[in-house]
Amino acid sequence: MSTAAAGPATPPDALGPARELERRLGDPEDPTVEFSFARSRSLDEREEFPEAICAGLTAWGLHRYFVPPEYGGALRSYEELLHLVRLVARRDLTVAIGYGKTFLGAVSAWVAGTPEQCADLAERVLAGTPVAWALTERDHGSDLLAGEVVATRAEESFRLTGEKWLINNATRGRLLTVLARTDPAGGARGFDLLLVDKERLGPDALRCLPKVRTLGIRGADISGVAFAGAVLPAAARLGPPGSGLETVLRGLQLTRTMCAALSLGAGEHALRIASAWAGARRLYGRVLADLPAARRVLLDAYADQLAAEATAVVAARMIHWLPGELSVASAAVKYLLPVRTEASIAALGRLLGARSIFADGDFQKVGRDARIVSLFDGSTVVNLHAVVSQFPNLVRGYRRPRPWSRLRPVADLRRAVPPFDRERLALAARDGLTVLAALPDAARVLAELALARPGLTTAAELAGALARHTDRLHATIARLRPARGGAPGTHLAAAQDLARCYAGAAAVTLWLANHDRADQEWPGHDRAGHDRAGQERPGHDRAECGSAALWTDGRWLAAVLGRLLGELGEPVRPRPEVDEALWAGLTGQAASRRLFSLFECELAEGMGP
Amino acid sequence: MTVELEAVLGDPRDGANPVGAARILRADERGELLAAGEEALASWGLNAEFVPARLGGRLVAADRLVRAVRPVFRRDLSLGLGYGVTSLMAAVNVWSAGTPAQRRRVADLLLRGERLAVAYHEPEHGNDLARNEFAARVDGDLLRLAGSKRVVNNIARCAAFVLFARTADSAGPRAHSLLLVERDRLDPARVAFLPRTRTSGVRGVRLGGVRAADLPVPATALLGAPGRGMENALRSFQVTRAVLPGLAVGAVDTALRTVLRFAMSRRLYGGTVLDLPHARETLAGALADLLAVDALATAACRGLHLLPEQSSLHSAAAKYLGARLLTGAMEELAVVLGARYYLREGEHALFGKHLRDLPVVGLGHAGETACLLAIIPQLPALARRAWRTPAAPPPALFAGPPGPLAAPAAPPPELPTPPPDPAAPLVAPDADPAGLPELDFARLTLASAGRDDLTGLLLTATVPEDGPRHLVASLADSLRALARDAATTPPARRGPLADPETMRLAERYALLLAAAAAVGTWLAGRERGDPFLGEPRWLAATLARLYGHLAGRPAPLPAGTADWLVRTLLDRERDGLSFDLSATPVRT
Repeated sequence: MSTAAAGPATPPDALGPARELERRLGDPEDPTVEFSFARSRSLDEREEFPEAICAGLTAWGLHRYFVPPEYGGALRSYEELLHLVRLVARRDLTVAIGYGKTFLGAVSAWVAGTPEQCADLAERVLAGTPVAWALTERDHGSDLLAGEVVATRAEESFRLTGEKWLINNATRGRLLTVLARTDPAGGARGFDLLLVDKERLGPDALRCLPKVRTLGIRGADISGVAFAGAVLPAAARLGPPGSGLETVLRGLQLTRTMCAALSLGAGEHALRIASAWAGARRLYGRVLADLPAARRVLLDAYADQLAAEATAVVAARMIHWLPGELSVASAAVKYLLPVRTEASIAALGRLLGARSIFADGDFQKVGRDARIVSLFDGSTVVNLHAVVSQFPNLVRGYRRPRPWSRLRPVADLRRAVPPFDRERLALAARDGLTVLAALPDAARVLAELALARPGLTTAAELAGALARHTDRLHATIARLRPARGGAPGTHLAAAQDLARCYAGAAAVTLWLANHDRADQEWPGHDRAGHDRAGQERPGHDRAECGSAALWTDGRWLAAVLGRLLGELGEPVRPRPEVDEALWAGLTGQAASRRLFSLFECELAEGMGP
Repeated sequence: MTVELEAVLGDPRDGANPVGAARILRADERGELLAAGEEALASWGLNAEFVPARLGGRLVAADRLVRAVRPVFRRDLSLGLGYGVTSLMAAVNVWSAGTPAQRRRVADLLLRGERLAVAYHEPEHGNDLARNEFAARVDGDLLRLAGSKRVVNNIARCAAFVLFARTADSAGPRAHSLLLVERDRLDPARVAFLPRTRTSGVRGVRLGGVRAADLPVPATALLGAPGRGMENALRSFQVTRAVLPGLAVGAVDTALRTVLRFAMSRRLYGGTVLDLPHARETLAGALADLLAVDALATAACRGLHLLPEQSSLHSAAAKYLGARLLTGAMEELAVVLGARYYLREGEHALFGKHLRDLPVVGLGHAGETACLLAIIPQLPALARRAWRTPAAPPPALFAGPPGPLAAPAAPPPELPTPPPDPAAPLVAPDADPAGLPELDFARLTLASAGRDDLTGLLLTATVPEDGPRHLVASLADSLRALARDAATTPPARRGPLADPETMRLAERYALLLAAAAAVGTWLAGRERGDPFLGEPRWLAATLARLYGHLAGRPAPLPAGTADWLVRTLLDRERDGLSFDLSATPVRT
C-alpha cells in the first residue's frame, strides 16, 4: 500500500488492480511467459485466437471487472477498468479486444436489463462465458437503422432471422446481444436488443460465418452469425419494446469511453519500442535520440500519450460523476484518441524507418492492430457526426459558465467515484460539457496560481490560449447552420476542434485537481525506492522515475496544451523547460520500467516470469 | 506504350487474369511476388524502360519512364518495387559512373530480363552512408570484400549488384566506392546470402542480405573512380527520387478508384456514400493531392533533363513530399472505406494492400530524413539568390507529356562499339518528341548553388483572372517567409543536428515546390487549351491543400472545387481513364 503521506484515509488507487494484474502476467519480454510479446506475435502470424492468454486473464479475474458490483462483479470504477484494459492492450490489442468484447456484449443489459436479466447475465459472465455484441450487418455498416435482421414476435417468443457480420467473437461468444428489427417499418423505435444463448437454440437455428481475415488483430474472431428462425424466449428482450437503438446509444457511451484504453495501450507499446531503439541506435556519430529532430518525435509522442491519458481518465470518471454529458464526451474521446494514437505511431514508424515493418518485430503489429480502434464501436466519421448533432447543446451549455470547483470531485483522484447510475445516462447532453463550460474559470484559477508560482506561467498562458480558442470555436459553431444528411467538412472540422478543446480542458482540470498531491506522492510508489512487493529495484528512486518532474510547474500540462493548440492551428514553440521535464519523464519511466504515464505504475519488464 | 502495358496486365478484376487483383492478393498472402506478374513484365520487356536508348533500351526521358511503368504500380507496389525499380536503382549508378564495358554489360543483362540489386544498406547505419563499414580492399588486380549488407531487395536472385563499399579507412566523403559485382562469378565459399527479412508491407519483396569474408572480385568491378562512391550514389539517388513518387501515383490512382466505386455503390443513411459531404470532400482532396504529386514528380523528372543542376533539390523534395502526400491521401480515403479497408478479403482488399505497401516508398535507401537533409543546407543560398532574383523555369518543363504516350520510336540501332567517351550522352538528343535534352548524369550536381528556377514561379507568375490568385499570393508570401527564416539558420543546424524547425524549413520548401509545379502545369495547360489541365479548379483545390499543410492545419477546399473534382473522378471512371495528369486509358 502507499505510504501514510497520502493522508489519513487511504485514497483510492485506480491503478491498483492494473498493477496487480501486470505483476501476475509477468515479464512480457520473456518469451517463456504465456502473455509475452513473442507469444502474441506468433499467434498473430498464425492467426490464432489467444485462448490460453485469455484463460489466464480469467484465472486472475479480469472478467469480474466487466460486471457491476450490485451483481457480484468488481466494476466499481470505470477508471480502474480503463487502466486494467490498457495494461492488457499494451501487450496485445488482439487480447484486449477479444477478451474485452464480453463487456461490450453485456453492456446493453447493464444499461437496460431488468434486475433478473442482469443477475442472470452476471452469473454467466462471472463463470467466464464470452459474450458478443452483434450490431452490424454486411450491407449497412454503421447505418443501424437499415438493419435487416428481423425478430418477429409470436406469443411468448421471438423468431430471429438474418445475418450479422463483422462481429467480434461472433463464433466464440456463447451469448450474443443482437440488435434486431421488431417493427417492419423500422425507425428509431423499431428495433430491439435480444440476448441470445447459442446453446439454447434449436439445431440449424444459427450458423456461424467464417472468420474474416483482417489487416491487424489477425488472431481475433471477427466473423458473423446467420440466424434462421431462431426461437428466443420473450424474456430475451432487454429493455422495453422498441428500445433497442436507444439502448445501443446508451451502451456505446460506456464502450466508446473505454476504447480509450485500447489507444492508450497501443500508444504505450509503440512508444516503448521506439524510445528503446532510439536510445540505443547511433547515427551520424550520435545516439539517435540525441538528434534534435528525432528527440522531437519521441517527445511529441510522449506528450500525446499523456494527453490521451488525461482525457481518458477524466472521461472515465465522468461516467460516474457526469453521466448526462457522456453522449458527447464519449464521442469526442472515441474520435480523438484513436486518430491521435495512429498519428503518433505513424510518426514513430517514420523514425524507425524500415525497422517499422520488419515482420519479426512488434512495431508493425502494433501499427496494424491499432488501426482497428478507429473503426469499431462507431468509426471516426460516425463519432464526429455524433458531436455535430450536439452542437446546439454544446453552444447552449457553454453560454452558462460554470465555476471550476464544480469539477473538483470529478477530477480529484483522491475522491472515490460514486456508483455508476445508469438512469442518468442521456441521449443528449442538455447542458453541454461542464469541462468546457468551466474552462474559462479553470484558466483564470491557473493564471492566479501562476502569479505566486512563476514556473506555472507557461502552462497558465497556454490554458488561457486554449480558453480563448474554445470561446471562438463555440462562436463559430453557433453560426453553423444545422446540417441535413451528412455533415459537411466545416462541421466535421469544428467537431474535431471541439474534441481537442475538450481534451485540453480535461487536462487543465486534471492538473488543477491533483497537482497539490502530485508534488507529494502517488500510490504505487514509496520514497524508499521499494516496489509494492517490498523489493528493492534499481532506478526506483522517485526522482528518477519521471512523473514528479512532469507535475512540477504544470510541465506536462504545458506540453499537452502545446500539442493540442498546434493541432488547432495555433503553433506553440517548444519550451526547453517543458521538453526537459518530458524527457526526464520519458527516459525515467523507460529506465525504471514504468508505464508512460502521469502516475506511477510499475511494469513487469525484467521481473522474470 | 502505357496502353500497351495496361493491356498486357489486363483487367485487374477478371478472376481468370493470371495477373489480376485476386492473384496479386493471394501471392501477397503467401509473402511472394506474383510469378506470373514477373513473367509478364519480363516478356513485355519492362527492363528496356530502364536502359538508355543508345544502349538498346527505351529510356528516353524520365517522365516517360514513369508513365510507362505506372501500370505496374497501379496493380501491385510490391511487384513494381520488387521486380522493376530495384533494377533501375542499380542501373542508374552504372549509366552515371560505369565504363562503356560496364554499361554494355548491364544493358545486356537487363535486356535479357535479368534482375539487378543495389546493396547500400547496413542496418546499423541507416541513412548514414558515410559510416558504412562493408570493406573493399585493393589487393593487386583484386578487390577483397568483407562485411555484410542487409535488407537488400533481390540480392539472392540477381545477376549482378551494385555495392557501396568502404575503400579507405578515413572518415569523410571520399572513403567509399561503388562496385559492380556479378553474382555468379563469386567464390561460393566466401560469400553467403543471408536469410530473407520478412516485412508487413510489400510482403512479396525479397529482402535479403549478403555477407562476404575476404571475397575476391576483379578490380575492374570498380564503378566510377575510387573514393567517389558517395558522390555517385547521391547522383543516382536524384534519378530514383524523382521517379519513385511518380510511380507511386499509380497505386493511389487505384486506391482512389476503389474508394470511388465503394462510395458509388454502398448505400448508407438512405443514399449512397457518395452523397455524404465527407466522402465527397475526401475523394476530391485525394484527387487534388494525387495531382499535386504528379505535377511535382513530373517536374522533377523533366528537371533531370532540363535543370539537372537543381535536381538535388527537386528530386529530394519530390521523394519526401510525394511519399508524404500520397500516404496521407490513402489514410483519408481509408476513413471513407471504413471497416472494409481493414479486411484482407473481399472486393476492397487491394486497397488495404496498397495502404500497407505505400509507406515503403518513403523508406528505402533515401529515407525521409535523408531527403530533408539534402535540402536544408541549400536553403540559405536559395534565399540569397534564387528568391531574391527569381528566374523563370524553361517552358519545356511543363510541355508534356501529359496525354497518352505514343508508341516509342523504334530504338536506335545498337551501337557496334560502346561510345568512346564515357561521359557521352546516353540518349540521342532528338530522341524525345517532347523535346527534352538527354539525361546527362555529369550535370547532376550535389548542390544547386543557389539556383531554383521552379519555386521562383510563385513570385513571378502572372495568374490570369480565372485562376486562384489569392492562393498564389498567399503561397508567394509563404515563400518570402521561408526565405527570411532560411537565411537565419545557423550552419550547425544545417546537418544531421537540424532541429525540428529547421527540418520544417525543408518541408515548407517541398510544399512550395509542389505548389509551383502545379501552377506551372496549369499555366502551360491553359496555354495549350488543355480542357483539364487548364481548368483552374484542380489548381485551386491542389493549392489549398498544400497551403493547409504549410499552415499546419487542413484547409477546406475552395467553394465549388470538390463537386467539380468528384465529377471529374466519375467521368474518368466512366471513360476508363487514369486519375493522374495524363488521363490515359487504363484497364480497371
